[in-house]
Amino acid sequence: MPLTKEDAVLPLLAELSAAPGTPILLADGSSSDGIFLPFLLGPLTFAGIYIGIYRFYRNTDKRHRYERETKVAVGNLQQDDRRTGRKTGQRSRSMDGRNDTDHLTRVRRLRVQ
Amino acid sequence: MTLPPEEPRDAHEPRPAEPAGSGGPVPPAPQEPAPPREDSGNRFIDTSSGRDDGLNKCPRCGSTEIEYALGAKALVCSHCRHTWNEQNAEKLFGLDSSIAELQGHTLASGTADVREDLTMVTLKCQGCGAEVVINAEQSVQARCHWCRQTLSLNTQIPNGAVPDALLPFQLTREDAIARIEEFAGRRRTFAQRRFKEEFVPENVMGVYIPYLVVDGNMHAVLTGDGEVTTREYTVTVGSGDNKRQETRYDADVYSVQRAFDLLVDDLTVESAERFDARDNSAATNNILNAVQPYDVENAVVYNSHYLKNFTSERRDLNVRDVDHLVEEKFLSIARAKVQPTVRRYDRGVRWTGEGVAVRGTRWVSVYVPVWLYSYAESASGDSLVHYIAVNARTGTTMGSIPVSHPRIFAAACAGGTIAGIVGLVVGLLGFFA
Repeated sequence: MPLTKEDAVLPLLAELSAAPGTPILLADGSSSDGIFLPFLLGPLTFAGIYIGIYRFYRNTDKRHRYERETKVAVGNLQQDDRRTGRKTGQRSRSMDGRNDTDHLTRVRRLRVQ
Repeated sequence: MTLPPEEPRDAHEPRPAEPAGSGGPVPPAPQEPAPPREDSGNRFIDTSSGRDDGLNKCPRCGSTEIEYALGAKALVCSHCRHTWNEQNAEKLFGLDSSIAELQGHTLASGTADVREDLTMVTLKCQGCGAEVVINAEQSVQARCHWCRQTLSLNTQIPNGAVPDALLPFQLTREDAIARIEEFAGRRRTFAQRRFKEEFVPENVMGVYIPYLVVDGNMHAVLTGDGEVTTREYTVTVGSGDNKRQETRYDADVYSVQRAFDLLVDDLTVESAERFDARDNSAATNNILNAVQPYDVENAVVYNSHYLKNFTSERRDLNVRDVDHLVEEKFLSIARAKVQPTVRRYDRGVRWTGEGVAVRGTRWVSVYVPVWLYSYAESASGDSLVHYIAVNARTGTTMGSIPVSHPRIFAAACAGGTIAGIVGLVVGLLGFFA
């Protein structure tokens, strides 16, 4: 069955929203009232189609999501949350260095008894 | 999680390698299943189920002419047509006991360290007394050249050829071919022309791939910072023509700590270096990784007749080679599991410290079944091998198809040009409006 237009467009939209450079480009555009934004449509579409088709064929990003699909039991949860300060006038909706959804990147190892 | 430095020893003494034709030692006498024993802090489980090397007979008539029949999903004796399956390995060997009670490292016989130099194993035929050499690198069975009995490697030997348990094939070859055809059929438009010409899904092979399956009992600790939005407002910035509205956020900052017990059941890790998902340089090994998970809790006790008519990959990674990777997987699982407890931090959490104290682990070596179609991207020796894999238990299919970059480039150019013209018109209209 040949690749349909829908097959190509859906990955494209996903890629456009996921591409790391997209928000920066869009932000740059918005800083000048977004006047240059339409002119970026061509290059962005090109990159989106190329990456989208490549991933659809090669599936280089696919893996076993073991951190979610492995059977796990959790118990004896202890929580310690203490307010330590306050930030004002932050430009971003998310905090710097947020990694609560990035389970595969390791951070400083603690020695646990 | 580091295992003690001592070599984990099998319940059976390793048998020396012997060159073909030189005869060899008589295999050890049949044994009763040995109770778990402890050694240097490690606990060992004998998973050989007391079966001797050599003849692996039909329980009804004693014939060794046995094959795994996919239609019946069972072993079938060619002589008396008796069909049966081996017992569930978890239940037989007590591998389903409570993970919360695991202390130290428990190792099943099939996880003993592999030995590269032990490839030729001599078995004494119990039918006629002849000595037959098996190359354990390539096969786990051979025919006695005198009495035609099938001789099998049944007991775990230190070259890693024999696992503790295996999952028999469930999906038929025809089902697998259909799934591979469908997968590749949806990806024909931009596939390499040579791939389309040479694509023969009937070349799919049934392969048993070795995995180490780990249970873990641990305590995890995570520390970091989290932020909660307290106010969202707009401010006016710039001046003159550059004057604009921007959103700003105020937030409370918290120190966040979570500590909890974690029981992990049946975490799988590749134990053949050739198929290790971390290395995709020579083949698309992530494809084999992506067709998981397998229902390893249904694995049956190893019987070499399950392997007949299929190929099998030898395990060449020891427990010690992958224990660091397993600990990292435990940490990833801990991070994923703790996520629901930090939902109140709408600006997110930045974890800065993580650790697990592993109280106990249990390791088992298991063969899992895969229908595998492989295709070398070019004729040169170092070309990338593309896999299309079908999980022969669940039917999950994943693959990699070699792409034609000029064709993708042309499609992307066409799409980009149309979008560019539209953007240009819209942009110019906005510019002059």
